[in-house]
Amino acid sequence: MAVWTDMGKPRGGFAVCGRPVLAVAVLALLALASLLVGSSGIGLRALLDDPRSVELLWVSRMPRTIALILAGTASAITGLIMQRLVQNRFVEPSTMGTVDSACLGLLLGVIFIPDASPLARMALAALFSWLGTLLFLLILRTMPRRSALMPPLLGIAYGGVIGALSYLIAWQTGLIQALAAWTTADFSVVLAGRYELLYLAAAATALAWFGADRFTLAGLGDDVARSVGLNPRMVLALGVSIVAITAGSIVVTVGFIPFLGLIVPNLVSRRVGDNLRNALPMVAWLGASVTLVCDLLGRLVFYPYELPIGATMGVLGAAVFLFLLLRRDGT
Amino acid sequence: MRQILSALCFFLGTTALHAQTVTVDTARGPVEVESGPQRVVTLDLGVLDTIKVIGGDVVGVPNGVKPDYLSEYAGTPYTEVGTFFEPDIETIAALDPDLIIVAGRSQAKYDELSGLAPTIDLTTDTTDFVGSIHRNTETIGAIYGREEVARTALKELDAKVTAMHDMAAEAGTALTILTTGGRMSTHGAKGRFSVLYGDFGFEPAIAEVDSGNHGQPISNEFIRSTDPDWIFVIDRDAAIGRDGQPAAQLLDNPLVNDTKAAKAGHIVYLDPIDWYVVGASITPVENSVATISGALAK
Repeated sequence: MAVWTDMGKPRGGFAVCGRPVLAVAVLALLALASLLVGSSGIGLRALLDDPRSVELLWVSRMPRTIALILAGTASAITGLIMQRLVQNRFVEPSTMGTVDSACLGLLLGVIFIPDASPLARMALAALFSWLGTLLFLLILRTMPRRSALMPPLLGIAYGGVIGALSYLIAWQTGLIQALAAWTTADFSVVLAGRYELLYLAAAATALAWFGADRFTLAGLGDDVARSVGLNPRMVLALGVSIVAITAGSIVVTVGFIPFLGLIVPNLVSRRVGDNLRNALPMVAWLGASVTLVCDLLGRLVFYPYELPIGATMGVLGAAVFLFLLLRRDGT
Repeated sequence: MRQILSALCFFLGTTALHAQTVTVDTARGPVEVESGPQRVVTLDLGVLDTIKVIGGDVVGVPNGVKPDYLSEYAGTPYTEVGTFFEPDIETIAALDPDLIIVAGRSQAKYDELSGLAPTIDLTTDTTDFVGSIHRNTETIGAIYGREEVARTALKELDAKVTAMHDMAAEAGTALTILTTGGRMSTHGAKGRFSVLYGDFGFEPAIAEVDSGNHGQPISNEFIRSTDPDWIFVIDRDAAIGRDGQPAAQLLDNPLVNDTKAAKAGHIVYLDPIDWYVVGASITPVENSVATISGALAK
């Protein structure tokens, strides 16, 4: 606990982790704030003054709030799963080529099957992120593990190569701005009927919740996994599939949210250690809360215009990530 | 002796013709260029359209999507000389141009291209769209020695824009929306699509937008609370030949459908190639005037 006494700001909101009632209250408060903030006015009065406010609530504010909670939770938990599978604290879907592969799939979908339904485009994005992630894990297996920084660095380089390929294709087909839109998360166009794919991400995340212990065991090595009766390949395939479906559905609906899968599990493990069963609810809670806060900030900074959450999360996430790197007590 | 004399005359004649220069107005101030260029290269479709309107010739044109009215420039005898942003220096050098015209997206390459051949910059001022068209058309008219054609074309354009302005002044407020990759942004009265307000005369639905080139991101809720009388949509993805997620589909939702514009059928989809790709020149602006006047007259 001593480590945490001098942590400064993050601790304030963080201390609630151990108290479920308080945690739920904070999340409920943030969700309420998300329902009350929008470009047609801020606060309960603005909603009551507007005669069409009930429609606004159901069509726009509620879906946006649900989408934020679903995407935030799913991103944070898939980050945690990947960290356990690879046994490395610094990997997450964006530092192992998963997100870049999803964007490549989406891009090729737009070019070759422009009239595809959102579900078909998601499937393509998920397929690509599945293949991309698997390829990364295969490459990683051939590498000697000398440093904890090696997998994320390799992953960033690998993602960079896939990203460069996407960029080249986008550049030649004039889709640079569309590519930029998918890689920058933005909840401003979320409406009823346009975010429901995220429930698929939520379902995949729920599956991950139940399989969480196996991912830790599989991450400890094939021998450990076999010794407790697990098929390491099956577990790996399951984990990668969950991450791919989650990344695909998030990229298709709102775009990739940077840093979330990286900082949330790390902050939580600093607090409660590496026990997955303890960590999961907190990772889910913190993922949703941080996402809500960043989107609220984005809605308020240039009110009534919007700053995409990709930008607010990028700034906040980079700061927290640097903090985590510098405070890593030699582990 | 006669032969020598006539050869000398011919030589003097041609040098005199070559030496003839005109001073024209450009985005970088007045410059002196030789008139009657034979081998012109441009990286901008607005410039290409202007050259076509005044009846000039080019040898090098930009790559990529071209609108119907410029379709004759796709393929031989014209050479593609690079994208709007990135000129293909070797191809341009091989064409041995006597004039290169950059504008807008290619203006950053001005210095690089100046090393190859005389280069002028006809970048338009988004806050004075029709004024920029005047300058560019007059400049190109003067370079090709076709001032009269340029003047007539501009007079016709002005008459159409004035008629449009009279109609729009009564039409109420307007909001412009640029869509790309399923996201929306808006540009204010001084932004990239200022011509709708300044020259065409619509009243901006929102006060100043500090927008930059790709505008300020907005939500459907923003569109509903702004509640404009008219909505003008430019589908960027369609501008470059993609219509996977058409803007109409994006905007067909309960919040946008609740605006005055949607209820009155006043959502106008502007030709994305005219607006986004070609930009400031006579043909796309006349097309837009026709589209918008048609919508206003309904």
